[in-house]
Amino acid sequence: MDIISAHDLVVGYGRTEILRGLDFAVPEGRITAVVGVSGSGKSTLLKTLAGLLPPLSGGFDFAGRPVNYRSEASLRLLFEQIGVLYQGGALLNSLSLFENVALPIRMQHPKMPEDMVRDMVFASLAQVELAGSADKYPAHLSGGMTKRGALARALVLDPDVVFCDEPSSGLDPITSALLDDLLIRLKETFGMTLVVVTHEIRSIERVADRVLLINDGGLRFSGDYADLAAADDAFIRTFFLRKDSHDDA
Amino acid sequence: MSDTVLLPKRLRAAEVVVALKDIGRRVESGPVTIDFRDVEEFDSSTLALLNYVRDRLTNVTTVNIGGALARAAESFVSRPPAVEPELPRSGNAAGRALTAIADRFIFQMRSLGRFLAMLGDEVYHVGVYLKERKGVYPGETWNQMFFMGYRSFPIVCLLIFLVGITISITSAEQLRLFGADIYLADLVGIAMLKELVPLMTGVILAGKVGAAITAELASMTVLEEVDALRTMGVVPEKFLMVPRLLAITLVVPLLVAMADVVGIFGGIVVARATFGTPPSAFIAEMVTAVDWTDFGWGLIKTVVFGWTVVVGSGFKGLTVGRSAEEVGRATTESVVLSITLIILIDCIFAFILY
Repeated sequence: MDIISAHDLVVGYGRTEILRGLDFAVPEGRITAVVGVSGSGKSTLLKTLAGLLPPLSGGFDFAGRPVNYRSEASLRLLFEQIGVLYQGGALLNSLSLFENVALPIRMQHPKMPEDMVRDMVFASLAQVELAGSADKYPAHLSGGMTKRGALARALVLDPDVVFCDEPSSGLDPITSALLDDLLIRLKETFGMTLVVVTHEIRSIERVADRVLLINDGGLRFSGDYADLAAADDAFIRTFFLRKDSHDDA
Repeated sequence: MSDTVLLPKRLRAAEVVVALKDIGRRVESGPVTIDFRDVEEFDSSTLALLNYVRDRLTNVTTVNIGGALARAAESFVSRPPAVEPELPRSGNAAGRALTAIADRFIFQMRSLGRFLAMLGDEVYHVGVYLKERKGVYPGETWNQMFFMGYRSFPIVCLLIFLVGITISITSAEQLRLFGADIYLADLVGIAMLKELVPLMTGVILAGKVGAAITAELASMTVLEEVDALRTMGVVPEKFLMVPRLLAITLVVPLLVAMADVVGIFGGIVVARATFGTPPSAFIAEMVTAVDWTDFGWGLIKTVVFGWTVVVGSGFKGLTVGRSAEEVGRATTESVVLSITLIILIDCIFAFILY
């Protein structure tokens, strides 16, 4: 079943169209990688799917319901069903890691007993192996810890879909691989749907079940990762050539 | 006969500058030949020199450009790629100027509309919060009160005390001419309670508190923290602004009361030093000229100024672009916007009160 399906979606800022005529589906319980060169509009697409940037035209369904940007109730429903891992983590600097992860619970369920909040926060931090750093502030966390902490915050209310914007950016290969493993574990253990925006070929190869390849203002490829190799497209071959050269090395 | 300049083996930026000066001097006397035969070390300034000489100096010939230098010169792209020239807008210069002014006016009106919409939203959010008590981080209002008080109290007290002294000294000389020494108390009381304390406090809040709010919120916007709040189902305009608005509402009365006391104390000090007026006589005279209504209006004005500062700086912080340099620009603009609005509102209050 598809949890997100876009129909003739046009995204951009103001009057500037960045991506046009997008028709694609994101299957439930799988990892979909949104791939493209820098500046191709991957993050813009993610913002639209995450309810932050209204589409210029067209639209998309989330869990079978059309998302209406003009309706606060529709957006609230969307926000209840998603978690977002931002490129820089976007943890609030004035709050400790514990408080950051507790924030969505406290804001959406203000009457939840503090003991339950605590249990949920530590369960989420344990998933990303940060339970021992709950009292630390974002300024005292490394890049990898910040990303994992932000992922814990995105997961704490068990969303249906987690959007990850460049999860590997700024991380060393080992930390990046650990984060990839974490995403795979979330999918396999909890059946979570993940939409990962990236241009890291190695990361795509490791985690992606499906690929949405964006190029030149549109969708160049939409399908299973396994089908990429068979695609008769010079751009796709060029884009993924780096992967081959890395592997050879 | 042509004058020849033999360039050195090493011809980098420092040597190019010297050579160019030499060539410029010689070319005034007649044709010059520049000989590159010895040049072995060169950089992009050497290639720029070649372009410059060929394009700008008609009386100069270059010779013996060979090997690596010739190859580098061929691939040296010193001009930006040609772009399609932007077609001039239709109409004459006056028409284009009017269009530009109209565009700017529309932009400013839209900004004003967004600002007023945000002001309305904030009044709504504060009302809803006071009723439902949710959507704001617990304890954040106290944090903001401490932050605003800590930042503003010392500077407000110091500046209002100095203003009290200044206005008293300035007025004392005039009052002495008419033998109206004791009326200094009336003047200081009215000026402080109704005008100077609210205005000065508002301006100081704009500089100290407003700038800090804009910088913080703009940084949060640039670092996607505001987006993160939104996708967590949090309304940033409520989560971030309501504690600050409640804090300023609660801190301002304390600030105003303290500033009134300190400003009047400045007047007492000058009255005592200039006329020998005892403090008790000063206060006894002052209370015949001012009452609690004056204090109340001063308080209301300052609360309005405080809200103006918080909403204005919040507006600038939350509508900032996505680059770090815009944080600084937004901070400066927020201070200017706040002070402008404070003086405008003060002017409206003057029409209402006097």
